[in-house]
Amino acid sequence: MHKNERSRAIQVPSSLENLSSAGDPEISLEQFAERVQGRTPLRLLVRWVAGIRASVHTKLLAAFLVVTLLFIAMALVSLQTIVSATRQSQQLDDAHELVGLAQQGESALARQMHYTDMALLSQDEVAIGKILRENNQFNDRLAKVESAGTADPALVEQIRRSQDEAMAVVADMANAIRDGKLGTVTGQLLRRQERLDSEITAQVGRLVAAQQDRMATLRDSVNAANRRSLILTSAFAVSAVLFALLCGFVISWSFILPVREAQGFLDRVAAGQFGGRIEVANRDEFGALADRMNHMSAELHRFDSEQKHAAAELGRLNQQLEQTSKAKSEFLANMSHELRTPMNAILGFTEMLLDGLYGGVPADINEPLTDIQVNGRHLLRLINDVLDLSKIEAGRMELALSEYSPREVVDIVYVSLRSLAVEKGLGFGIDAPDGLPVAYGDNGRLTQCLMNLAGNALKFTRQGKVEIGVERRGDELVYRVSDTGIGIPKEELENVFAEFRQVDSTVTREFGGTGLGLSITKKFVEMHGGRIWVESEIGKGCVFYFAVPLRAKGGET
Amino acid sequence: MNVQTILYVEDNEYNRKIVHQLMSRTTYRLIEAMDGESGVAMAQKELPDLILMDVQLPKMSGLDATRALKADPRTANIPVIVITSFALSGDREKAAAAGAINYLAKPYSPRELLAMVRDVLPESGSTNREVEK
Repeated sequence: MHKNERSRAIQVPSSLENLSSAGDPEISLEQFAERVQGRTPLRLLVRWVAGIRASVHTKLLAAFLVVTLLFIAMALVSLQTIVSATRQSQQLDDAHELVGLAQQGESALARQMHYTDMALLSQDEVAIGKILRENNQFNDRLAKVESAGTADPALVEQIRRSQDEAMAVVADMANAIRDGKLGTVTGQLLRRQERLDSEITAQVGRLVAAQQDRMATLRDSVNAANRRSLILTSAFAVSAVLFALLCGFVISWSFILPVREAQGFLDRVAAGQFGGRIEVANRDEFGALADRMNHMSAELHRFDSEQKHAAAELGRLNQQLEQTSKAKSEFLANMSHELRTPMNAILGFTEMLLDGLYGGVPADINEPLTDIQVNGRHLLRLINDVLDLSKIEAGRMELALSEYSPREVVDIVYVSLRSLAVEKGLGFGIDAPDGLPVAYGDNGRLTQCLMNLAGNALKFTRQGKVEIGVERRGDELVYRVSDTGIGIPKEELENVFAEFRQVDSTVTREFGGTGLGLSITKKFVEMHGGRIWVESEIGKGCVFYFAVPLRAKGGET
Repeated sequence: MNVQTILYVEDNEYNRKIVHQLMSRTTYRLIEAMDGESGVAMAQKELPDLILMDVQLPKMSGLDATRALKADPRTANIPVIVITSFALSGDREKAAAAGAINYLAKPYSPRELLAMVRDVLPESGSTNREVEK
């Protein structure tokens, strides 16, 4: 199972765990608890508690309530024990007093008998009075013992009868003393007296013994009750503590287990394993949490597979697109060839005709031949522009970087366009300082850029002059074409480099052009890592600049 | 006097016609092939003094044909001028890598082509026709 995994997950980041186990190298309290819950039937109890359909709050409250009730019960038992102990000790005191009374009676009886004997011997009436006094005392104690209701009523009655008889003997004695005839009856009285003495002594002795027995029984029962209540109280206390510990243990583990489960689960989710499920026995808040996690996991899994599906679809589309793009660029290459091949023938034959390769050309044929040549070249330029732009758009355009002379670029453009300027009667000049450094870039494309700008300038300028130039500004070369043409309105300045745009469609008709030249120029400049801009004032002309790094880095669009 | 032979490998008949008519006014002898394979075969058979090689050819591309010629010791020293349609950038580098001595982009001016040919292979004499002229 994931048990080891989980315990590792919980132990490694816990600094508290380390602290507690640092003190005890053998085994930590938590590890002990872990073993207890894992290897004993408590595990079932933990699962059972987890499965109770009640909130965490209710479970904790119920456990505390039970523990509290146990303690309350224990307190009640103790209270009751104290009350009964008090009552029993009262009873014991009473029994003790009764024993005392009985013993006092016994003493009084002994003295009564002593004085009776003395009366017989001394024949003195004073002794008779003492006998009566002791008898009264005896009767008083007997009455008290009787009133307590603990003595055997039959025995008391017997004692009374015997005492009555004894007192009858005393009365006889007193009469005989007064009559002076004691000597004659002494023997008889003495015999009666002796019989009664031993009878009463035995009876009172039984009474005392009975009271003493009762007291002993009472003491035993008090002791037994005290022991019982001690055991009961201890039992309540111990069971309350044990129950509290058990509740704490079971309830805390019923929380710890789902939390660990959740930790392991979240670790797996974090590691990208979506779609797994977390199984917990809990039907409380933790159970609800687990349900939500499972829902989340399922959703994540769904999103993940959807995303993977989408990625695969995207990959497929991308591949398709690449194929299409490849097909497109192949088409472009073919098209380029197909278009240039007839152009080559048209321009080639025209040039050879004009060069007189087929013999002299009549003057009236020369002009239309020149027209064919001019228009053929124009068509070629259009084809080149469209193909260049297509290649740039398809990301297939690459710069051919090499060392080049910036001055040479300007010179080539100047030489190529000089005749056109002369034809239009425009001034055309170069403004470039001497000693420009050797630069690194695609000179063919940069020449094309400057040619486009200069060609446009000559096209859109009716009078005045056009000037081309280049200068170094820090790490950049800034190429420049200025003219005294119609200029560009402010609001159009931003649009001049957009594709298929010319300032005014009537201008297009008047001056011709594809409207692609500027956007192609902009793209080539940007491929060099440079920028292009224009400054203009309507009616006064405009200046086009493009700046490229002295040493270009890139090549890709 | 040795006749200077130029082999032109090109599939388009009008372009062949241009070069044919251009060369007919010179002392060069022009032989033609219409695809890469036959171009290579003809070069190996005729051993011309200069080869004008179009890039886009049926059966075998001009660049492959140039490489094949440069790999063959019999034809390795024959200068090759590659003519491309400037379709893809880096043509110049590809032409140089294949072993071409120079490179011309279509559409070329016949005047330019002749100048380049004369630069690589100076004409040894004038034709009768030019003399007649």
